[in-house]
Amino acid sequence: MLRRGAAGIDSANSIMGKVFTTAQSFILPIAFLIVWEVIAVILDNPALVPRLTAVIAILVNPFSELIGTGSLAWNTIVSLVRVLAGFAIAVIICVPVGLAMGVSKTINRLVNPLVELFRPLCPIAWIPFAMAMFKTTRVPQLFGVRYTDTILDSVQVGMLFIIFWGGLFPILLNTVHGVSNVREIWLETAKMLGASKVKMFRRVILPAALPAILTGIRIGLGISWMVIIAAEMLPGSDSGIGYLIMYSYELAEMDILVASMVMIGLMGLLLNRGLQLVSNRISGWTALER
Amino acid sequence: MPPLLKLNNIGKIFSTPQGREVSALEDVNIEVEDGEFISLIGPTGCGKTTLLRIIAGLETASAGEIAIQDNQTGASSPLCTLVFQQYSLFPWLNVIENTAFPLEMRGIPRRSRIKMAEEYLELVGLAGVENAKPYELSGGMQQRAAIARALAYDAKILLMDEPFGALDERTRHRLQDTLLEIWRKKKKTIIFVTHNIDEAVYLAGKIFIMASEPGRLVEDITISIPRPRNRLSEEFTNLHLKIRNFLEKAA
Ligand SMILES: Nc1ncnc2c1ncn2[C@@H]1O[C@H](COP(=O)(O)OP(=O)(O)OP(=O)(O)O)[C@@H](O)[C@H]1O
Ligand SMILES: [Mg+2]
Repeated sequence: MLRRGAAGIDSANSIMGKVFTTAQSFILPIAFLIVWEVIAVILDNPALVPRLTAVIAILVNPFSELIGTGSLAWNTIVSLVRVLAGFAIAVIICVPVGLAMGVSKTINRLVNPLVELFRPLCPIAWIPFAMAMFKTTRVPQLFGVRYTDTILDSVQVGMLFIIFWGGLFPILLNTVHGVSNVREIWLETAKMLGASKVKMFRRVILPAALPAILTGIRIGLGISWMVIIAAEMLPGSDSGIGYLIMYSYELAEMDILVASMVMIGLMGLLLNRGLQLVSNRISGWTALER
Repeated sequence: MPPLLKLNNIGKIFSTPQGREVSALEDVNIEVEDGEFISLIGPTGCGKTTLLRIIAGLETASAGEIAIQDNQTGASSPLCTLVFQQYSLFPWLNVIENTAFPLEMRGIPRRSRIKMAEEYLELVGLAGVENAKPYELSGGMQQRAAIARALAYDAKILLMDEPFGALDERTRHRLQDTLLEIWRKKKKTIIFVTHNIDEAVYLAGKIFIMASEPGRLVEDITISIPRPRNRLSEEFTNLHLKIRNFLEKAA
């Protein structure tokens, strides 16, 4: 058999090849949109299947007031602020605890039963508990302030609590896994080169575990984003993208409902991609290592 | 004066998870004087790595004892370090940071440790790749960087586990000369594991030949050919043949 080397660049890298491969990934999404639009026209019932144009009109004017609940952008930002605040708390608490569990067998033995106890519990199951526990207490009220006229007035403590639970286990478990799977040869090398315990931790264990920690953070953020939408859909909520979905459902405003869904997907995608970029920057070596 | 390093009836038994016991080393007796260049040679699996790890303190012997005269080494410099057989560079650090790692551990400020590390890299012929990440280097270059890093640690005893195994002959020969120069200039004591008879005869003042199952010493040969040694001289080739015979018997 005769095998020829491809001259220069292979076809996927040539300009025409690139256009074709890119086009391929658009075929099914475009087909989906066409089918959607056709069904919408045939049914001609915007309370069931809204026209794409109506949905797009809402998406391209995110700042316009909708059904008396604030704009699409405003509700998205409220949800994002809730998630980022709750998630920051989860990172600040879970990464150190995970590091401690990974480094110390004793701490691991102490904390692990608690982890095993709560882990099977879906974070969404915590929502009613959080509502009962924290009622509608808002973050400023924690500090004795009634209104601050900032976005913090829309951040309920109970929501932070739920988001925290969404991020907790992915961050914690990935951190523990990352630390306890640092390669033996790196630890031994550091020992052979005079690393103290503290320096070993800072200069070997931490950087070696960082890729796993970042993976945990990325997964945790994805889950937190799902959990907040669920929390906002429950009664007692008065803002956020989840609330907007539920409210537009009640008013049979399907175009707003679908636009909100698209927004949730977009934000989820953006958060994931953003973190992926950061993580590739910091831990690019894991992918390139042989 | 007692020897710098004395191994007394060292034995090592590994128990596998299946409950099987492997006798990796049995009754190993070695004395190493300050400033000696020792080579350990033997078939694969005869316990060379295990022996180095026991000396380095990464593994505890199951039998026997090990005595190191640390008062001979001076308090300021560390006692011993091990260059691993496998790749051991930290992939999140670039080459210069890897080389400077032991200096960083000692608390030397960044500017001066980078400068020192550059010199060690130059010594092993790696000048110019300071900013590369380990995965961008060939296996042989990675191993040279690991050697530069171990040299930067500046330990009295250098334990080297087949450090030149992955190199081509030319580079290997050049690094052998570099190593001899460092050994002579810095008055190191080196225990050098190799599979390569030529390498052992070229480098060592004393060669320990090992056999496997159980891992043990079968012969030690003192080499008094003055350095630099001529690989084609009769003395050299005779020794080469002699060691080959021992190894064939040992296997
Ligand atoms: N952690 C371990 N658990 C069980 N057995 C081990 C362990 N480490 C080494 N051994 C066994 O001990 C013996 C000696 O191993 P060692 O790695 O010291 O050999 P070596 O002489 O360095 O071989 P090579 O030349 O291939 O590097 C082998 O039979 C090996 O299987
Ligand atoms: Mg070995």
